[in-house]
Amino acid sequence: MLDNRKISPRQYYIMVSLYIIGSAILVIPATLAIEAKQDAWIAEIIAVAVGLLILPFYIQLGNRFAPMTFVQYTEKVLGKWPGKIFSLLFIAGFPFLSASLTLRNVGDFMTTQVLPETPIEAIHIFFLCVVILGIRYGLEPVARTAELLFPFVILSFLLLVILIAPQIEFKNILPVMENGMKPVLRAAIPHIAFPFLEPIILILLFPYINRSQESGKALFTGMVIAGVVMIVITVLAVLVLGINTGRLAYPSYILGRKINIGHFLQRIEIMMALIWMITNFIRLTLLFYISAMSIAQTFKVKDFRFLTFPLAIIIFILSIETIPNSVYLQELVKIWPWYALTFALGFPLLLLGVAVLRKK
Amino acid sequence: MLAIAGFMVIVAGIIAIDAPPLWRKKQKKELWIFFILLFFGTTLGILHFSIHKIPNPVNWIIIVYKPFSDMIATWLK
Repeated sequence: MLDNRKISPRQYYIMVSLYIIGSAILVIPATLAIEAKQDAWIAEIIAVAVGLLILPFYIQLGNRFAPMTFVQYTEKVLGKWPGKIFSLLFIAGFPFLSASLTLRNVGDFMTTQVLPETPIEAIHIFFLCVVILGIRYGLEPVARTAELLFPFVILSFLLLVILIAPQIEFKNILPVMENGMKPVLRAAIPHIAFPFLEPIILILLFPYINRSQESGKALFTGMVIAGVVMIVITVLAVLVLGINTGRLAYPSYILGRKINIGHFLQRIEIMMALIWMITNFIRLTLLFYISAMSIAQTFKVKDFRFLTFPLAIIIFILSIETIPNSVYLQELVKIWPWYALTFALGFPLLLLGVAVLRKK
Repeated sequence: MLAIAGFMVIVAGIIAIDAPPLWRKKQKKELWIFFILLFFGTTLGILHFSIHKIPNPVNWIIIVYKPFSDMIATWLK
């Protein structure tokens, strides 16, 4: 199969961390603060901790599949046709749908904050074009792009942290745990699911890593980097914006806007927006790549490039149509954890259960 | 109407780019998958651009998972 064993563990962990930071860095501080108010940072730490605790399960799972691709493994365990149906359900239900929702995230952000007069369709089409270009080149060029852009993301992020530091007010964090543990848990649950249950998608890339014994460690490193970035951005949002964090759609973008050094260095938020342009690009590219690749493997065709345009049309239409308004999105945020859990826990457990029973 | 026309031009462009190489190499299976996916996408597109409504998978997800999610929500109140 095309693109076999091409990326290094280092490239993999960089892609993992950019993927996990993805669109989460934009929306998560607000999602957390709506429920947990000034305790959003506790919810964030809980979510990262849970994410890292369940990671060994996914690493085990990934290593179990790794000599084969996910599609080949399911076909071996479940039999030819049930295996194919199972893989397609998984791909359509989780990575593919996530891809269209991620695209919508980009579009919503751009139309509400940066380019208010541009139709959302135009932004989606241009973003998709870049993603398709990346995928048609293959996984290795995408991995190298990620490697190139990674220092830039980390530097911009550090710059944001340093420049916003003068505006930190520690009283914003008080009172801690005002309403007990339950609001914090309510806030943490959607965040655990998005994005910390998504290693189930990322382990499908294990067969493409050239030193397979290191892939588990690489996944872990990537998750830790992403976790630290997410914790820092949430703590900053709470310390600078206080409970207003929950009222803003994109608190981390507002953080960038609040930077003001001596009334001279200000309005550099678009520099900060580049961070999530890059992370969103990697996230969407990986989701799209995994979907296209797995569909190609299911039908046992040699190439996957001819799938990219038809799939892009479907992603585009879904991204526009699935979320009619932001109230609807709030509804989905409540439902998504349980939906994601079906794919992140239900599907692999079913697969492992059958594998043990049939001794394969 | 203009949107649908533009959309069909894009679909034609996609066919012009990706179908001839598959045709030349006589990859029948690939051609089938390509056109089935493209047909599916085009149908969704025409529905979207004409009546602004497609069968929404997110609706189904919400209907299926809402009872469970509500149960957890009351438990965490």
